[in-house]
Amino acid sequence: MNTRKAMLLKLGSLQFSLWELHLYLDTHPMDTAAEARYRGYKKCYDEVRAEFTEKYGPLSPSEGNGEKWLKSPWPWEKQEECVK
Amino acid sequence: MFSYEKMLQYPVNIKNPNPKYAQIVLEQYGGPDGELGASLRYLSQRFSMPCPELKGLLTDIGTEELGHLEMIGAIVYQLTRNLSVEEIKKGGFDAYFVNHTTGVYPAGANGMPFNAGSLASKGDVITDLHENMAAEQKARTTYDNILRLVDDPDVRDAIKFLREREIVHYQRFGEGLRIATDKLNEKNFYAFNPSFDTRCNRKMR
Repeated sequence: MNTRKAMLLKLGSLQFSLWELHLYLDTHPMDTAAEARYRGYKKCYDEVRAEFTEKYGPLSPSEGNGEKWLKSPWPWEKQEECVK
Repeated sequence: MFSYEKMLQYPVNIKNPNPKYAQIVLEQYGGPDGELGASLRYLSQRFSMPCPELKGLLTDIGTEELGHLEMIGAIVYQLTRNLSVEEIKKGGFDAYFVNHTTGVYPAGANGMPFNAGSLASKGDVITDLHENMAAEQKARTTYDNILRLVDDPDVRDAIKFLREREIVHYQRFGEGLRIATDKLNEKNFYAFNPSFDTRCNRKMR
């Protein structure tokens, strides 16, 4: 597994943890322990996300445009299609 | 993946409910040239787009269309607030009401449920981009017709914004088509299908 892929997988698992807690907090809005867990994951997520986008380019339109946005791999592409 | 922003792309603030107008505007929620069809069309076609510019363009416009779907839903919702049964009957909204109450449902103005037959994903970049340019113009015509039928300035303001976006998207799709044909065989754009005959499309990337 290349480093981009490994880092994206790590970011994805952190993002999923955040999302799962967000969903849980929709029905348990007063659960302060869950809030605290969310904040813990969020700190870690923000760091990994900043490092990833710095290294490999934007993951969302709000993080970049043009060449950088267009040329990094699209999520449905297989690795062999990703010609630079 | 997709994430949500808790704001509309352009504000919708309608002071006066009007079931007749709600029924007319519903055309752009679930009708054949509406925003649901537009978003599904582009977000489906993008998988077989042969170059990054077009993958980006279809992703971005398809995403924006989801934002437009939300705006149309907000217009229909605000137009059907606090209605009496008398107003519903008088506005001709009773046929919709008997099934959906005032829930927002993807149907056209005539009550026909959303049908994916109103969009195409042909797996051919030239064909798909022409479909999209036609779709933007069909939506623009529908918005023009809504503007003929609806007097309320609050509704018209949001509809005018959406109409203008159709024109901008048409322009961008035209540029996308130019980007595609510039990379194809200039003597015969149809010599191969760059979405399928992938060995021929090194230049597209």
